[in-house]
Amino acid sequence: MKKILIKDFGSDDEVLSPLNPEDLLPIPGENLEDIKFKKIKPETLAKYDFSLDGFSALSLPIPQTKEEEEAIVNSFLKGLEKLFVKENNWGFLQPSVLSTEYCMQCNTCNEACPIYVESGRKDIYRPNFRPEVLRRIYKRYFSTSGKLLGKWVGADLELNWRVVYHLAELVYRCTICRRCASVCPIGVDNALLSRELRKIFSQEMGIAPENVHRSGSMQHLRVGSSTGMNPVAFKDSIEFIEDIIEEKIGRRITIPVDKEGADILLIHNAGEYVSWPENPAAFAILFEAAGLNWTLSSDSMGYEGVNYGVWYDDVQFARVALGQIKAAKKLGVKKIVVGECGHATKALVSIADRLAVGDLAIPREGCLPLLESIVTSGKIKFDPSRNNFPVTLHDPCNMVRLMGIISPQRNILKHIMAPGMFREMPNCGVDNYCCGGGSGFAVMNTQNFPNWRDNLASRHKARQVLEAFKDCLDPSIPKYYCAPCSNCKGAARDSLIEHFGFREKYNIIYAGLVELMVNAMVDIPEPFISWEEEF
Amino acid sequence: MDSLTWFISGPLLYIAVITFVVVTGKKILYFSSMPRHLRWDLYPVPHQGPEGSKYQKVDFSKLKPQVHLMHELWEMGQEILFIKRAFKNNPKIWKSSFPLHAGIYLCAVWMALVICGAIVELAGIPVYKTSPSTLAVVLYYATILCGVAGAVTGLAGTIGLLWMRYFDEGMRDMADFITYVNLYLMLLVFGSALLAWWNVDPGYNWIRSHTMSLVTLKPVAPDLLIAMEIFWFSVFLLYLPFSRMLHFVAKYYFYHDIMWDDESMKPGSKLEQDVIASLHYKLNWNAPHITSDAAWVDQIPADRKEEDKK
Ligand code: SF4
Ligand code: SF4
Repeated sequence: MKKILIKDFGSDDEVLSPLNPEDLLPIPGENLEDIKFKKIKPETLAKYDFSLDGFSALSLPIPQTKEEEEAIVNSFLKGLEKLFVKENNWGFLQPSVLSTEYCMQCNTCNEACPIYVESGRKDIYRPNFRPEVLRRIYKRYFSTSGKLLGKWVGADLELNWRVVYHLAELVYRCTICRRCASVCPIGVDNALLSRELRKIFSQEMGIAPENVHRSGSMQHLRVGSSTGMNPVAFKDSIEFIEDIIEEKIGRRITIPVDKEGADILLIHNAGEYVSWPENPAAFAILFEAAGLNWTLSSDSMGYEGVNYGVWYDDVQFARVALGQIKAAKKLGVKKIVVGECGHATKALVSIADRLAVGDLAIPREGCLPLLESIVTSGKIKFDPSRNNFPVTLHDPCNMVRLMGIISPQRNILKHIMAPGMFREMPNCGVDNYCCGGGSGFAVMNTQNFPNWRDNLASRHKARQVLEAFKDCLDPSIPKYYCAPCSNCKGAARDSLIEHFGFREKYNIIYAGLVELMVNAMVDIPEPFISWEEEF
Repeated sequence: MDSLTWFISGPLLYIAVITFVVVTGKKILYFSSMPRHLRWDLYPVPHQGPEGSKYQKVDFSKLKPQVHLMHELWEMGQEILFIKRAFKNNPKIWKSSFPLHAGIYLCAVWMALVICGAIVELAGIPVYKTSPSTLAVVLYYATILCGVAGAVTGLAGTIGLLWMRYFDEGMRDMADFITYVNLYLMLLVFGSALLAWWNVDPGYNWIRSHTMSLVTLKPVAPDLLIAMEIFWFSVFLLYLPFSRMLHFVAKYYFYHDIMWDDESMKPGSKLEQDVIASLHYKLNWNAPHITSDAAWVDQIPADRKEEDKK
């Protein structure tokens, strides 16, 4: 395999570190020779940069003149300088400075990274590789010792447009799952530095993945949702969900919308309404049966729970988070509960906590504890024998490693699953692996990036799922991969089901936790989960 | 020659100690005075104790902050003394990294014992194997034990790490020039200490009496090997606060101020005041979607008018 050293990062090879199917670590039953990456048309190759690993997440246009090349380098340097100025980056200055200065290059983080390991251990995917590029550039251009002594103080990387482009792409080869940070003996956070670098590209250079920025957070702020759903379409979708509920349980429920003064404002990832409407339907059934005083909001910032800013841009992050909080204030609800979406939960409940000053400090929490309280309160009767099929649980990084929400979902499963049917994956809890859709990957669908994501980023999850179901892989046994997170479900759909073919080969389906809960409700005449219709 | 060894073992050492204290102090002040960052916790957070994260509870914001000091101390103790995370996640490097760190700790204890011994001697009690004071005898042997064990384990750890930097492909590829500078410096510090002990100072009496001269601000010129030992130690002290080897200070902030910082926003709190002040910083990011040269609070669009929503 081609060795890539940091100092070679700006080399003008056609592809610096090509990822080939045969490099990947095969999962059981997989033949790597069957993997075919999408062929890129010559005219596309001539226009956009694919030179990092043969893939493009950003559709970066290849500069045509010396001036354009210089402009790329200068703009990057300006952004890099701003990253360490408190006025520009107060929200993450301390973590950034510390992680930039104190890595000892012990490589402990390497084996924790599913992308590095599953790629066949390619140098560029080492968690500490991209931060080290950042460090060496910073030293070379912003420290006196680096300017004077160069390589003798570790400043041995000359900047050119290729370094900038390679780095821009490389920060979108990390899911920001922070598994590497959790094993670092010092506490250095390579995931944070991936995000900080993404901020330079977005906040200074205007570079971000199309689906994350322009048709993502910008669209969210403009029309109300990154799905493009405006408030009118949202209200229509609620009617559609009421229809689904009627069809499934034989009676109609009126979903409360814009109910002022409700105890709970429930905000879903709006992708649920579009792709998995059974999920908000199941929430409505449970909340109604538990007698909760709740509502949805049709305010343009009140029905979309996602916050893509959390992946790449602090300004977008703050705009979305504060918009969501203000929508809740308008309705006068007592608290916000975020549905089954990991990044949305972390963004609004945890990270945004330090933006919620003054009267914006409205309580916000994830849905899992509330769902657990519904189960343990006895308000709804569950019959665990209705969930008499093998189930494994995916731990969304954002909820588990980054928020410590571990026991509620397990306690729920204990109450609603037939004995012996729930099995943990290897490496569960805070030690979990990302689904492969983290940090925006699940929605990034331009160029050939989905090939990279489905083959590599989700590979370890596929391995874990097979391991969890290894005693019942026979397709005559239906199996359920429970992922209480919209992005993780997106990754499951695109990778586990469509790419790896788990539905066809092993009869594994995927969905959230609430669907399993409703499926076990004694008051529901027919099974809520129908194996034929599902997905 | 005497004046050179005198300079090294007196003024240079004083300068090194003062530089180390001042620069490290300044770094600590710098890290401590940075703006409060947004939440970036990483779980488990030990002071939350056996019940774990508050986020697992309904209405968690009404609960009191969880403070289980013993859990935190236990976790910190394992990390500081045994480098638990490296032991768990990278046993290969731990086999060298742990002896290196243990060597540094033992040498720090040795230094404290040498200073104690100097003070005891200044008080008129000889620190020697035949001393009339049992405590002084214990001090004498403890100093030898810590000094020798520290230098030997430190040296072994350093050699182990150097070996990995040369012969482990991944470790070599990710190292920069400074990595080698740091390790060779450690090699010189531990190596010169062992050399001086073996050749001229098996009971550490020389270094103790030299410390007496330093404590009384009347430094004398010691033996050449001891001067060398002091020289490399001084270089180490002068260099340490500017290098990534200061990670032992940074580690405190990584753990307490980032991974384990779970303080919630409370109206009227100091945290809230700090954040409000930060929100008024003017940013100058340049991308088209950002209003440059405006404050963070002004980036948040005002509530949109009804007609915009249609
Ligand atoms: S980030 Fe941490 S674990 Fe990774 S190389 Fe640096 S110090 Fe080691
Ligand atoms: S955050 Fe996750 S994907 Fe990114 S480098 Fe670390 S372990 Fe790998």
